Amino acid sequence: MKRVFLLSLLGLLVATGALHWTRPENRSPVPVLHWMTQNDPVKRETIALFRQWLVDQGLPPAEVQIDHSNQDVTKKLVQGVSGVGGDLIDLYFSELEMMQATGMLADVTDEAVRAGYGPGTTYAAVRSDFMVAGRQYGYPRNVDVTMCWVNRDTFARYGQPEPPARWDWDEFEARGKRFVAAANPPGTRRRVYYLNRVWPYVLRRGLGLSTYNETMTRCTLDDPRNVEVLRRLYRWTVEERLMPTTADQAAMAADGTAFDSSFGLFAAGRFAMVYEGLWALIRLRPLGDFQLGAVEPFTGGFPNTELGSGAVAVYRGAKHPELARQFLRFLASEPFSLLVARSGDSLPPLPAYAEHPAFLQPPGFAGDWGAKAAFARAGREIGIATSKSPYALPRVVFLIDNQTIEAVLAGRLTPAAAAREAAQRINAELALTLRQDPALRRQYDAACERQRQIDARRAAGRPVPAAWISDPFHLAYYRAQGWLEPEAAP
Amino acid sequence: MNRRVRDFRRLLTGLAYLLPNIAGFCAFTLVPLALSFAMAFTNWDILRHNRFRQEPLHWAGLENFARLLADPQFWRDLGNTLFFTLGLPFAIAGSLGAALLLTRVSRRRTALGPALVVATLVLVASAAVLLAGGLAQRGVLVLGGTMAAAVLVAGVVTGGTIYRTLFYLPHFTAGVATFVLWKKLYNPHTGPFNTALAPVLDGLSAVVRGAPGFFTYGVPVLCGAAALAAALWQGRRLRRRWADGEAGSAAIVTGTLTLGGPLGLFLHWQGQGGWVAGGAGAAVVAGLGGWILRQPRCWGPRRAADTGLGAELSLALAGVPLLLLLAGGLLLGPALPALAATGLEPPNWLGDYAWAKPALMLMALWAAIGSNSMILYLAGLSNIPPELYEAADMDGASAMQRFWHITWPQLAPITFFIAVMGVINGLQGGFEMARTMTQGGPAGSTTTLSYFIFTQGFETGRLGYASAIAWVLFGLVLVFSLLNFRFGNRDVND
Repeated sequence: MKRVFLLSLLGLLVATGALHWTRPENRSPVPVLHWMTQNDPVKRETIALFRQWLVDQGLPPAEVQIDHSNQDVTKKLVQGVSGVGGDLIDLYFSELEMMQATGMLADVTDEAVRAGYGPGTTYAAVRSDFMVAGRQYGYPRNVDVTMCWVNRDTFARYGQPEPPARWDWDEFEARGKRFVAAANPPGTRRRVYYLNRVWPYVLRRGLGLSTYNETMTRCTLDDPRNVEVLRRLYRWTVEERLMPTTADQAAMAADGTAFDSSFGLFAAGRFAMVYEGLWALIRLRPLGDFQLGAVEPFTGGFPNTELGSGAVAVYRGAKHPELARQFLRFLASEPFSLLVARSGDSLPPLPAYAEHPAFLQPPGFAGDWGAKAAFARAGREIGIATSKSPYALPRVVFLIDNQTIEAVLAGRLTPAAAAREAAQRINAELALTLRQDPALRRQYDAACERQRQIDARRAAGRPVPAAWISDPFHLAYYRAQGWLEPEAAP
Repeated sequence: MNRRVRDFRRLLTGLAYLLPNIAGFCAFTLVPLALSFAMAFTNWDILRHNRFRQEPLHWAGLENFARLLADPQFWRDLGNTLFFTLGLPFAIAGSLGAALLLTRVSRRRTALGPALVVATLVLVASAAVLLAGGLAQRGVLVLGGTMAAAVLVAGVVTGGTIYRTLFYLPHFTAGVATFVLWKKLYNPHTGPFNTALAPVLDGLSAVVRGAPGFFTYGVPVLCGAAALAAALWQGRRLRRRWADGEAGSAAIVTGTLTLGGPLGLFLHWQGQGGWVAGGAGAAVVAGLGGWILRQPRCWGPRRAADTGLGAELSLALAGVPLLLLLAGGLLLGPALPALAATGLEPPNWLGDYAWAKPALMLMALWAAIGSNSMILYLAGLSNIPPELYEAADMDGASAMQRFWHITWPQLAPITFFIAVMGVINGLQGGFEMARTMTQGGPAGSTTTLSYFIFTQGFETGRLGYASAIAWVLFGLVLVFSLLNFRFGNRDVND
């Protein structure tokens, strides 16, 4: 028995040694960076290009390993604070503030300006996706606006007209009803939807409403305009079934997330349109050769869409911090922007390349030339960054907003009750943050005072200085309405 | 070598064997447990208290617990968790049924065995080829039917061994793999469940359209009559048990709640509001209690308040779902003709608020039937002395009497153990299932307390709050276990 025990122990030790020896960084003669990102062809091309870029720059060679199994936000968070995060971390949508708050992201502000990848090199509108409180924590690897992708083949199949480039939500509803009636005759089991989803923020902004007030000190979702948005979402999703619920979509996606499945369903003609960024091309191109178009998201008045970026940040506990910073520098280089332009992975981080022929008319992909021009135009004209209050974690706000919308779609809350609950819970989050982080209190009080001044000026019909407004939507909206002081307007 | 040295060396050897386990227990259970207890009373937030950011930790006292009690999400998720544990009696009944069936399968082997095995394999392969060749949805039915036939034949051929293996399959299949498989089964458009249900529902729609009166009036009357019969039976039963001194006051209250609870819920579903529903439930409890107390020997022999409580709790676990089903029939019957007018749709199992919970329960039931409970029952059945059955046969007992008076009491210790473990696992579980299949949705309908803990701890980083929820969950498990030990094992040693 003792021998068996000792042999087992020995076996385990040998296995541990073997596992350690087979790790890429122990087998590779050059430093290895671990990049927590998706494993797609563009990322693999990016890595190959980075290797070449290092050679061209006369820098020592290095290897980059994609860690795609740990890109879930909870894994990034837990691994990061535990000291075992990847050297490079992809940040999406609402993740930056959370990761930055832990202190696990390296502050690259000074180095970025010196090395040529500072905030001035990319779109000003997406700075909030890689900067917090004026400090830089990463660099965008793409900049994206969200549009309605149109599968022209699906519209042709059911003899329905394609939507116009700009439309309002009444038009969406009327066209959608005609489409689903034509695509789903009585007795049809496999439902064909008009659209996969739409961001509620875009609809709210269409009515002049944001998640927060101008200074982002209070959630304003209890506004009647939000009730109207929720009412519409309910009608389109539950009553008219122009769109599936998230749960519907998740249920249809037998072996993936709802998000992953939407591209397959779009290609198969089950969704006539999908509401995604330009990066969707990476997923759509391998699915077949079909005619694509892109139109602006429908709104209730003010045309807008979400503008955001997928950023890459350097982990503070990175084993090769200098090399990781070189990677950020590479993201701001011409070869990388040309790669993004060619691949269709959104707008290149360097704005000039969105006008480049490699982006607008990539050889071999004539089918999406028109769509790319539409994305570039939307980025210039109607793209607005996400509203992120410094007094509440954007991810928590996103979860609350989602939960209340889901409750409306499931018939658990009326639109009015859901709007009230969302505002109440988000405002409670703001209060909780201020209680837990007293350092923010002074800033918050000053912002509240500024809000009172804004309200007073608006009530008196007087213009407001742009510098007073921190919410990106309100800034764009005020500018469009002519409510800004002339000297502050661009 | 003297004896003391030898004993000491043996002790060291023993400790060396135990050391890995003790070290593992300390590192991965004991220390985290103590740490989480301490964390529950602090403002520990992963965003501000970690290796990169070390802000001072503050003692929060009972603040996390107070916040929890005021959190509507906690109450919703607690409700979901308790709802899932309602499947326990069905799981117990299922495992016992499976064990009983398996003990009855003949172990004789047939000479045609190998030939039958080859024949079934050929059948299965043919169905698979048909499916791959474009038989599409009907292929799923063909494949399913063929596999069922194959299992049946193989079971006969192997003398039941294959049944034991197949029934136990859910237990040793990896959880996530099972969940993904069930997600495919539940797919509203291409899943085999709905593919098989669609023609059945089409047929049912035709039947309902042909006889709307029966469904509008007949089904509710039948369900109502069945519910009334069940209520009367329970009332008579309670009265008899009270009179015979087999039930104390606590048991009587529990027994009447079995009737009042579903009635209250039924009224609540009909939109009668909480007060009306609660009032109706209370009226039933008071009415039955009063009826018993008005009996000539209402106090009967002296007994403890909790006498017979275990039996009533067990019955409540089975009776409440049954009455709820009948209440559902009462409501659904009149609504069917209108639904059938446009054709009955198979359910959107995981996407519909009303169906998501039952769908997950159904899957959990499948897993629970073929679990360790079945193995325990199999072992328990083999330990029942055959003389008891022989004596019962000589007395002319029927199969049902043999079961109720010999098998069931003899299995009482095992049932008690399974019930305790089931409640503990039920309260703690549900995370993997919900995370894989529904992400806790739709609208939080499948979010259990364990999922809530995960969300708070790792999606928002509030470890102190998440620990408080975990310790409240522990408290619940403890209370349920104590109740089980106090009242559930009354018959175990009889």
